[in-house]
Amino acid sequence: MFTRPFRFERADRLTDASDLLRRHGDDAKVIAGGQSLMPLINLGLAAPQVVIDISRAEQGGRPRVISAADGYLTIGALVTHSRLTVDQMAAEQQPLLCSAAARIGNSRVRNRGTLGGSLAHSDPTAELPLVMVALGAEYEVSNGERTRPIRAEEFHLGFLTTALEPDELVVSARVPSLGPRWGWAFQEFSRRDGDFALVAAAALIRSSGGAIIEGRVAVGGVSDRPVRLADVEAALSGATAQEASGRIGTIRGISPISDAGASAAYREHLAQVLVQRVVAEACQRSEAA
Amino acid sequence: MTDDGSTAASNGRSLAVHLTVNGRQITRAAGGHFTLLRWLRDAAGVTDPKYGCGEGICGSCAVLVDGVPVSSCLVLAAQVDGADVVTAAGLCEPDGSLGPLQRAFHERHAAQCGFCTPGMLVAAAAILAGGSTPSRAAIRAELHGNLCRCTGYGPIVDAVEAALQAARQGGQPGQAPDGASEAS
Repeated sequence: MFTRPFRFERADRLTDASDLLRRHGDDAKVIAGGQSLMPLINLGLAAPQVVIDISRAEQGGRPRVISAADGYLTIGALVTHSRLTVDQMAAEQQPLLCSAAARIGNSRVRNRGTLGGSLAHSDPTAELPLVMVALGAEYEVSNGERTRPIRAEEFHLGFLTTALEPDELVVSARVPSLGPRWGWAFQEFSRRDGDFALVAAAALIRSSGGAIIEGRVAVGGVSDRPVRLADVEAALSGATAQEASGRIGTIRGISPISDAGASAAYREHLAQVLVQRVVAEACQRSEAA
Repeated sequence: MTDDGSTAASNGRSLAVHLTVNGRQITRAAGGHFTLLRWLRDAAGVTDPKYGCGEGICGSCAVLVDGVPVSSCLVLAAQVDGADVVTAAGLCEPDGSLGPLQRAFHERHAAQCGFCTPGMLVAAAAILAGGSTPSRAAIRAELHGNLCRCTGYGPIVDAVEAALQAARQGGQPGQAPDGASEAS
């Protein structure tokens, strides 16, 4: 509780935060909801000299907007998980996101935690980076002077590591809206409800006439970042819902760790089971769509 | 934008933070690194929220900020400057007697050592404020972010159910559980 003192700076706009990051360099950390940074500070795992608060930052309202246009849903970085869970437009356009957001931590975490915070923290077990990779999301990141798009798969580089430049912040994330005949599913397994997931999986399936046309599948918690499973996606093509499970063998391209929570073999097993389950669930939704 | 003014140990500025806590307006200067929990306890003398885990898992520091439950150990006081904060102690009646939820916890033996109780009460207050009538399973799911090491949770869920039922039965929560006369 008695953390090393730091200097508190409030950024009224995201661009001010970039200015402060340039001024303070590595000594500074950005805080929004604080649900990842504050535990690290309280446990002594992070000791920033300066903490830059963007939780009240404005920029023409954009950081808090959820909007849909041209087949895409765009979510501002400061949208909380709680809001994403219940937002009607998000639920209509891309229910996979809402479903994943609802599984984050507990209600207090969801009430403060933000989309941008979760993406920038890039915890390999986190729900939102996983569904972003599954959805082929594109993030808008900016340092106040230059704004650039970056694909989720190119953004999440490893354990708590992203492609953000030192003065950049996530401004928003854009995902494709759920198209006709697409089904979706998100599942995770944790030791206790609300705990970090041991393994999580997400699937999007488009089927027609009882056969899978295409699918997008990703897993989290079994690598240093969320992993899209191209092998599984290819294997599912043309399968009926009944055949799908059998076509999902041992999940390749992952490198689960062994720790006090579970062995690598158990995580690998969980990955296969959860992928089978999300594919089955997504198939059902696709056929009902 | 003057620096320092705070103790030599602090490399951060001391910031004046103004909050309404349980209806009382409080302004206190404290280091910018003070969490809301530490500000409440050490700067403002509001000691019912407890420090448990520091990770947002246990819920013993839960308070309502502008009506929304948060872990006060994971929020910096300066981040919520100007907010309306309600702690478990703020759930009492204006005359200081136990409020309906507090009474339900008391009647159902929902506290043993009492450490988790302030956070449980705040979580329960949020459930009541939600306006819906959740099932027992839904109450348990809603409370999963609050850990109790004594009661086994049963009496706590009982108390929340009783308070919800009382609130439904005509806005006179806290009456004797079987004494409600109004039709639901």
